[in-house]
Amino acid sequence: MRIITHLCPACGTVVAANELENNRVMKCPGLGCQEVLRFEDLPEDAREHFLKNRNRYQT
Amino acid sequence: MKGVLLSGGTGSRLRPITHTGPKQLVPVANKPVLEYAIEDLKEADITEIGVILGNKGREEIQELLGDGSKYGVDITYIVQGNPLGLAHAAGCARDFVGDDDFVMYLGDNILKSGVTDLVENFEAGDYRAGIALQEVDNPQAFGIADVDEEGNVTELIEKPDEPPTNLALIGMYVFSPAVFNAIDDLEPSWRGELEITDAIQDLLEDDYEIDSHVVTGWWKDTGKPVDILEANRLVLEDKDLNTAGVVEDGAETDGRIELADSAVIEEGAVVRGPVSIAANTTIKSGTYVGPYTSIGANSTLEDIHIENSVVIGDSEITANGRIADSLLGRNANVESADDLLPEGRRLVVGENSQLKL
Ligand SMILES: [Zn+2]
Repeated sequence: MRIITHLCPACGTVVAANELENNRVMKCPGLGCQEVLRFEDLPEDAREHFLKNRNRYQT
Repeated sequence: MKGVLLSGGTGSRLRPITHTGPKQLVPVANKPVLEYAIEDLKEADITEIGVILGNKGREEIQELLGDGSKYGVDITYIVQGNPLGLAHAAGCARDFVGDDDFVMYLGDNILKSGVTDLVENFEAGDYRAGIALQEVDNPQAFGIADVDEEGNVTELIEKPDEPPTNLALIGMYVFSPAVFNAIDDLEPSWRGELEITDAIQDLLEDDYEIDSHVVTGWWKDTGKPVDILEANRLVLEDKDLNTAGVVEDGAETDGRIELADSAVIEEGAVVRGPVSIAANTTIKSGTYVGPYTSIGANSTLEDIHIENSVVIGDSEITANGRIADSLLGRNANVESADDLLPEGRRLVVGENSQLKL
């Protein structure tokens, strides 16, 4: 199963796609980091793969 | 070598304690379980640690660990979100791990011997993974490894009816980045999770060598209240306990007692170690604190007889009664009902609590 994550460019915190997709737009969860992370920051093929297989990334 | 420390999970078996916080922060000998893991990694010279956060208790974990500098380590947070399995958690750490090897440590586990031997064994050979094992009496209840005479793993079997060995997998692994390719090829198991044992099985099927390391000291998964009490007993048994606080004249103490410097054992109290008493806590006259008990910070005990128990903190325990083998959550108070009518116990009990009266 493909695991999709996003690396915050400002602080290196890693966020899984399910979390990004849940929030769409979120403040980076890294301590003291002000970066805004978006599901749209993921590459297009990663987003498409995630959305097509969305139920596999839920619990 | 990097570290990947898992601190997600629901903690459902530790309710009600985990209604208000993650299970990895439950204290054992007055220290959150997760801090033992950080210290074990540090001791194995692993200072770059990725902490995997789930859906619950993230802020509390980040508040405790911070950037890791207070432990002399450097922490990167990895938000897994949905609990999709240990292999998914490992997979989320890929960008953090890069081309390094890494130790994967389950943050609710606590073990006497740390991970240094596991790491050294792995580094001494040409392995793609190393797994920690422990001999158990009931191998049918565990994931079991079969190993050859050199200690190389030959097979993993989940809860076997006819176990080939009594060597159970505990929550400690070392991996090379080869594991990420194995994880990519995994499909979710019947419970909808990516299983780390399936990833290790794939490495075996690709003829990679996998090391095993049998842990001989105690090991505890602190998933249930009884496990917390057992871990507390084991740690108090082993730990150096330092009495910095005040023991008043007329207090009776023996055995090893950890007493924070702002804690007091007053005249007329009896404390028998091994015991840990945290900051700003007072043990008043008429109290008995028996072996294998940890009392958290900002608490007052009076008249109570307590042993083999964990009091997390901020508690007033002033009933004239006996408490044994108990786990009391933060801010839990136990007072006397002796003067109240009608006669009877007065309880305000949270969801999923367990009482034996
Ligand atoms: Zn960030």
